[in-house]
Amino acid sequence: MGVNDTYSRGRELLIADPVRAALVLALVVLLLDLVRQLVFGQVPVSQFVVLLKDGLMRGLFFGLAGIGLSMTYSILNFANFAHGDFITSGAFSGMIVTYIIAGGFGAEADIGSLALVGAGGSVFGAQLGIGVASTPLAVLGGVIAAALFTILLSLFIDRTVFEPIRDRSGITLLITSIGVAFVLRYLIAFIFDPSRRGVTDSNAVPSTDILVYDGFVSVDLHEVSLLVVSVLLMLGLHLLLQRTKLGKAMRAMSDNEDLARITGIPTERVIRYTWIIGAGLTGVAGYMFVIWNGTLHWFQGWILLLPIFAAVILGGIGSVYGAIVGGLVIGLTMSVSIVWVPTGLARASAFLVMILMLLVRPSGIFSGGSTA
Amino acid sequence: MSETAEPDEASGASETAGAKQGTRRFDDSLLSVRNLDAGYGDLQILTDIDLDVRDGEYVTIVGPNGAGKSTAMKSVFGLTNRMAGTVTFDGTEITTTEPEDVIHLGLGYVPQNGNIFTSLSVQENLEMGAYILDDVPEGALEAVYDRFPILRERMEQEAGKMSGGQRQMLAMGRALMLDPDLLLLDEPSAGLAPDLVDDMFDRIDAINDDGTAVLMVEQNAKEALRRCDRGYVLVDGQNRYEDAGEALLNDEQVRRDFLGG
Repeated sequence: MGVNDTYSRGRELLIADPVRAALVLALVVLLLDLVRQLVFGQVPVSQFVVLLKDGLMRGLFFGLAGIGLSMTYSILNFANFAHGDFITSGAFSGMIVTYIIAGGFGAEADIGSLALVGAGGSVFGAQLGIGVASTPLAVLGGVIAAALFTILLSLFIDRTVFEPIRDRSGITLLITSIGVAFVLRYLIAFIFDPSRRGVTDSNAVPSTDILVYDGFVSVDLHEVSLLVVSVLLMLGLHLLLQRTKLGKAMRAMSDNEDLARITGIPTERVIRYTWIIGAGLTGVAGYMFVIWNGTLHWFQGWILLLPIFAAVILGGIGSVYGAIVGGLVIGLTMSVSIVWVPTGLARASAFLVMILMLLVRPSGIFSGGSTA
Repeated sequence: MSETAEPDEASGASETAGAKQGTRRFDDSLLSVRNLDAGYGDLQILTDIDLDVRDGEYVTIVGPNGAGKSTAMKSVFGLTNRMAGTVTFDGTEITTTEPEDVIHLGLGYVPQNGNIFTSLSVQENLEMGAYILDDVPEGALEAVYDRFPILRERMEQEAGKMSGGQRQMLAMGRALMLDPDLLLLDEPSAGLAPDLVDDMFDRIDAINDDGTAVLMVEQNAKEALRRCDRGYVLVDGQNRYEDAGEALLNDEQVRRDFLGG
């Protein structure tokens, strides 16, 4: 009887919604194939766990960085293309502070090099032994600086660029934000020089190998740090949105701005806090990504913006929780997909997943949920 | 400029016998709108409007579609472009006051559409109603829950998942959180099932009986006039008639022209 039910439900789905049925079928085939590959040892279990870990790290970063993008969308009603360069700004500002603290405020190298200015590479992060364990204070200072600088930057840009055109359409704001993105990106390239530099000392990162079935999976402290920081910030944001008056006002405003205004919610102040929280998280995300990834360069954020957009759209643009879930889906897809496709197609497969999911749920996983 | 602009002693009923064209003005009004021109952007909808609501009074605005009823109400709350004339509330001129400041003065407004935060819970909607206070006023919250017990039952529910009648109650409850002196209601019966309309009017009566003045726009004109103290008939963005609700209801011409016989 149960089997019959399943059959008839499957038949109904096939007729009513062939796209969804095809997707479910494809997913089942992929999962079965994954099990086959794991069982027959074509993909060692430990290697698969490494992929999962890697995907989780990426996903947490996409989620954390995507929150700000989704918040500005829901409260200010535009897609902020300068968001990627906020990530880069956070990474650079944080790293400068880290370098200066780790470099003994000029003791180890001249302050200009420590501030990463100009011809890059005169000081390597490895030389200063930068790492969460080796230079904890420098990293802590970097996290704080990344958050603060990105907040100030976003408030400055909002005041000078976005506030005067607040009542224009989302398209006007979007195009303006592309302009802001270019300005920021090339300012960064101009000041800090367009080289790619290694910023952490990989030998100074404690790691441990964990035996997983048929092999070892290495977990290092920078991965744990990214995990802990992301989860704590996401939890904090959740509590803020659900428990505090400000958080509820933000949700109210993203839900119905006109009603928020006649309820006496000071909308400009809420907008300011939206930038502060969104940019703060974005700056920290950028910095933690660089700590995890170990390299820093001027168009990092721009490259990352595309999968972040995919994550946010997949989750349901405007929803904070959607950004987190979407980030995890995109991150995991990007890394796990290489079981089936060449590495070069990993990103493409993440976007494919986004497109396919949107065919089924056009407004995203947390559709219509706004910031709630 | 109204021709009947002699300010009367506000003794209530019988300054004019039957509904004459024109509009009385009152001296002791809680809300008084004088010679107001207003609209949206450059588009003028209202011309030379007078409106009064006295303390504790229940006033309705009726009139054909497009007469500017909702616009008149929005103008009181600062949601339109006010081009000429004045709006005074409780002795304070609020002609140019922004909506987010008007609420501080004791005016509550329930728009016709989009009057609740659909993704917030019932309780959170009510909390937002008291946003301008430092703390959620427990007394007011309890009073709203006592007035609309269904809201207490649904306290944790997402507001968007409630029925039309419950949404309307939540919207009113939200506006009552600050215990306003004057409640503005835009088409409170719109979209309600017929058997709920009477209930909604009963609830508005009860709010008014507890001392809150009500200014209401209603398309259900007969019922609104039957229940209110005084009514205005607006036509083409201008005052046409003003009188006690019953008087308007019994006036031949008003009935023929605006109440469908």
